[in-house]
Amino acid sequence: MSPRLDVDRIVPFDKVGSYHVYLENARVEFDGFRALDIDEFGVFYNELRVIIGPNGAGKTTLCDVISGRTPLTAGTVYVDHTDIAHAGDVAVATMGVGRKFQTPTMFDSLTVLENMDLALPRGKSVLPNLWHRQAAEETESILSVLKDVGLSHQVDTPAKFLSHGERQWLALGMLILAEPKLLLVDEPAAGLTDKETGLTAELLLRLKGRRTVIVIEHDMEFVRMLDSLVTVMNEGKILAQGRIEELRENPEVVQAYLGR
Amino acid sequence: MGHPTHVTGEGATQHGTGFPKRITSCPCGELPRSPDGDSILGETCRSGDRDKAGSRVCRYDMRHNATTTEKSVPKFSRMAELALLAFLFGIVPLLNVLGVVDSTHLNKLGRYLCFAIVALGIDLLWGYTGLLCLCHAFFFCLGGYAMAMHLSLPGGGGDVRPEYHNIPQFFFFNNVETLPHWWAPFNSLPFTLGAAIAIPAILATVLGFTLFRSKVKGVYFSIVTQAVAWGAFLLFCRNEMLLGGTNGLTNFNPVLNRSPGSILFLYVLTAAVLTALFVAARQMTGSRLGRLLVAVRDKEMLLNSLGYRSEFIKLFAFVTAAVFAAVGGMLYVPQNGIITPNVMRVEDSIWMIIWVALGGRGRLWGAVFGALIVNYGYSVLTSDIPRAWPFVQGGMFLAVVMLFPSGLMGLWDELETHLESTTRFQALAAGLAVAGIALFFVTEALGLVPGAIQAAWMGVPIKYHLLLFVLGAAGILALLERTGTMRRVTQ
Repeated sequence: MSPRLDVDRIVPFDKVGSYHVYLENARVEFDGFRALDIDEFGVFYNELRVIIGPNGAGKTTLCDVISGRTPLTAGTVYVDHTDIAHAGDVAVATMGVGRKFQTPTMFDSLTVLENMDLALPRGKSVLPNLWHRQAAEETESILSVLKDVGLSHQVDTPAKFLSHGERQWLALGMLILAEPKLLLVDEPAAGLTDKETGLTAELLLRLKGRRTVIVIEHDMEFVRMLDSLVTVMNEGKILAQGRIEELRENPEVVQAYLGR
Repeated sequence: MGHPTHVTGEGATQHGTGFPKRITSCPCGELPRSPDGDSILGETCRSGDRDKAGSRVCRYDMRHNATTTEKSVPKFSRMAELALLAFLFGIVPLLNVLGVVDSTHLNKLGRYLCFAIVALGIDLLWGYTGLLCLCHAFFFCLGGYAMAMHLSLPGGGGDVRPEYHNIPQFFFFNNVETLPHWWAPFNSLPFTLGAAIAIPAILATVLGFTLFRSKVKGVYFSIVTQAVAWGAFLLFCRNEMLLGGTNGLTNFNPVLNRSPGSILFLYVLTAAVLTALFVAARQMTGSRLGRLLVAVRDKEMLLNSLGYRSEFIKLFAFVTAAVFAAVGGMLYVPQNGIITPNVMRVEDSIWMIIWVALGGRGRLWGAVFGALIVNYGYSVLTSDIPRAWPFVQGGMFLAVVMLFPSGLMGLWDELETHLESTTRFQALAAGLAVAGIALFFVTEALGLVPGAIQAAWMGVPIKYHLLLFVLGAAGILALLERTGTMRRVTQ
């Protein structure tokens, strides 16, 4: 009973152009409260996009919509030219959308290695995992990602013993290992030191041009390091879009966010 | 070879205190070398694939191949497991044949081993996957009733008589004169065995699929399963069900649980099934699927966003647990001689949860020992000092919640850790406690309590004074060691 994506609802290419993610008249309401109200929002293939905005601006809700966790109240959201407004999170994940949650989320009782193993982009059905054996090249790829995120000395540590910074790294490592076509990265630098923030930015920049990445972040220094197009959200709406230098000059943005 | 023997670099200093059992060496005797000398873990061991004995894959490869079953069983536990197997299959049957252990006690042990089978399934579902199901006694009874139907019929040696139309006797009191057609296939043992597993499995699949698909979680899942248990109980109490109503099914072949030969056979059969299912459960929890079960417990949301269909993982655990319970019920009925709807009340399901909680949630051995110890505790105390049982029951639960959150297995871990380290008094304390509890329950289970300590002193049999004394001594030792007093005294 895997929910099939409706073939009839695949959108013609010319409508959404080369957008990997495209939202149109998208609205999300929780008990009458309008959490998201976007007329139009698109992210190109292999673009690195940063979303900023004050608390409650709807950034995480937007992430939830794109990853299929929250269904739209009205409107459409296309990922890879497919309407996923009601597809559900597993189906969207299977399409190649990876997600790092706002609070670094992992399986606390499992070790770093076991966490990474579950993030591998295969073996998602249930029963074959009873007799599954890990291939050597999979181990290689896990270890190389762990090296990138600086956790190679922690392979056998249960995730619950990791510090906050290491948890951020592991969550990011799992996301990178899963090799999604679209990465939704919610606050990867929260609670990191300046040095760690720099390394995180470096990791994300490495994906630039090869994967579509949407980053949500509060840390302005981090946003500056990513050096990409920035979308500013406020009260569920898209307020402005542009380079961070331009946005600093925009009085509306300053009013809503930067000035505070 | 000049390799470092401990983890060096940032890893060691950052996490020197966090995690006690960090792996710092390889059993093959070679340590993987890192070119920068920064960290040695995560690199491939250079000594090849085999250890010196040539039997086992090197720890590093072993870990990367994710065969976790081997690494999780230390030597001491292995020995204890072998001893236990020898006890179950060798010593107990031998003592029974020699007449030292009488058949009544063997029969009771056999029945309690059935409970241990149920507890294993509950541990998979609750301990590993984190789903608290309150209708396990119902699944137990489904297996039990199927077997009881077979045993009531002539095909299963049931006690049918001409004056009751040669069909199970209770039908006479329900004014039924011919065997209902759906009863007939239960004359055959293979059909019964199949049905006893298939019926609960199908029911669990339907129930689980409905609940997990509509994302019924946490306490709501417990409440729904509890309602199912209650509904089933009411249903089975009805005479219209033609399953004996509140009186249940009985009048089996009396030989089953009375003749010593049959009792011994059923006991060995139960022990063998328990062993087989234990091994199966351990394979399961050691596999990648086992880690997925734990992942459901830890963070189901993340599992979904990684593309796993968590409802099917939960369904697998639920159906497996239901089948384990049904197997337990099937083996229980011939040894008990009767099954009634009273075994499937909600309370009984909660009892089963308590076995696992006391033994140690998320530990397979914990489930087995929890089931045995709680049931023996109940059996022993209600015959020695009936008034004390509610207090002991409450006390056990409080102790688990407040003092030993990891249950009895926590005590065992303590013993194991301290045996390897230098804190001997701690090991002595844990060893005393474990040995005291083990000796108490083994003598009780086999009916070998010496008359001298069965005699009452201050209204309570002396054996309880002894047990309390040993546990108290262990507690004081542990306390002294923990506060450092012992170290000062011995120095």
